[in-house]
Amino acid sequence: MSNEEIKMHDELLGAWEETYKKGQLTLWIFLSLKEGPKYVQGLQESIHSFSKGTISAEEQSLYRTLRKFYHLKMVDYSAGKGHKGPDRKYYHLTELGASLLQSFVERNILLFFQDPLRELLLNSSQTKID
Amino acid sequence: MKIITRNLLLFALLLFVYTILFRFGLGQLLTAEKWLWVIIISVTYGAMIFVTAWTTGKRDGMENFLFDAGFRWNLTTFLVWGIASEAWFLLDLHSQYETIRVVHITLLIWSGFLILHFLLFLILRRRTIKGVHKTDIFE
Repeated sequence: MSNEEIKMHDELLGAWEETYKKGQLTLWIFLSLKEGPKYVQGLQESIHSFSKGTISAEEQSLYRTLRKFYHLKMVDYSAGKGHKGPDRKYYHLTELGASLLQSFVERNILLFFQDPLRELLLNSSQTKID
Repeated sequence: MKIITRNLLLFALLLFVYTILFRFGLGQLLTAEKWLWVIIISVTYGAMIFVTAWTTGKRDGMENFLFDAGFRWNLTTFLVWGIASEAWFLLDLHSQYETIRVVHITLLIWSGFLILHFLLFLILRRRTIKGVHKTDIFE
């Protein structure tokens, strides 16, 4: 690829990722909570680490999302000891939340692990068109 | 999830202050027969309400996820404006050019739009789950 194409590639990748990441926060929150109960900052670190730094959620945004999920009974919390401070809310998935994650993963994620999609995703070469 | 929120109360308070100041200014300008200024103060009053409603409503949407299609803001404006205006006349603070009939006609027409707004809210509520709009749940 020429320098111009590399620049365009990066710009397009950025734009695609920006669109792709929209709506992904729920999946990352649910996956992090599936691992175990977490307080907001812990959840934030977990999302960052799980996504290898590609997804970062602001604390305020996480609080708002968790309040909403709590209202919709997808997550619940229990009070736990804070680090030299007040008690923290440790969030966990409810039965509804866990079931929702399972259904979502089965319908939208697992298909990427089955052939021919798996093969296509792992194979970096492209089919030649005559 | 609350119906009466901090932002809604702030909007109601500011609206009340604007309305009192507007009523006072309007009475003075009408008495002085400064017609151009009457238009200017009226437009400014309307613009200030719009900007305040927009700002507080947007902030409320960030903090509170209750979907109401803006109905709470419309109802609050109706109540605050109506109460402040009625009180202005009851306390005999109005000018000779103002009549309470105008306030009543405005409230009557407005209540019709308020009912339509409420019906719109009821229709749009079908797109919500426990008061949260479906498109706002999974961001």
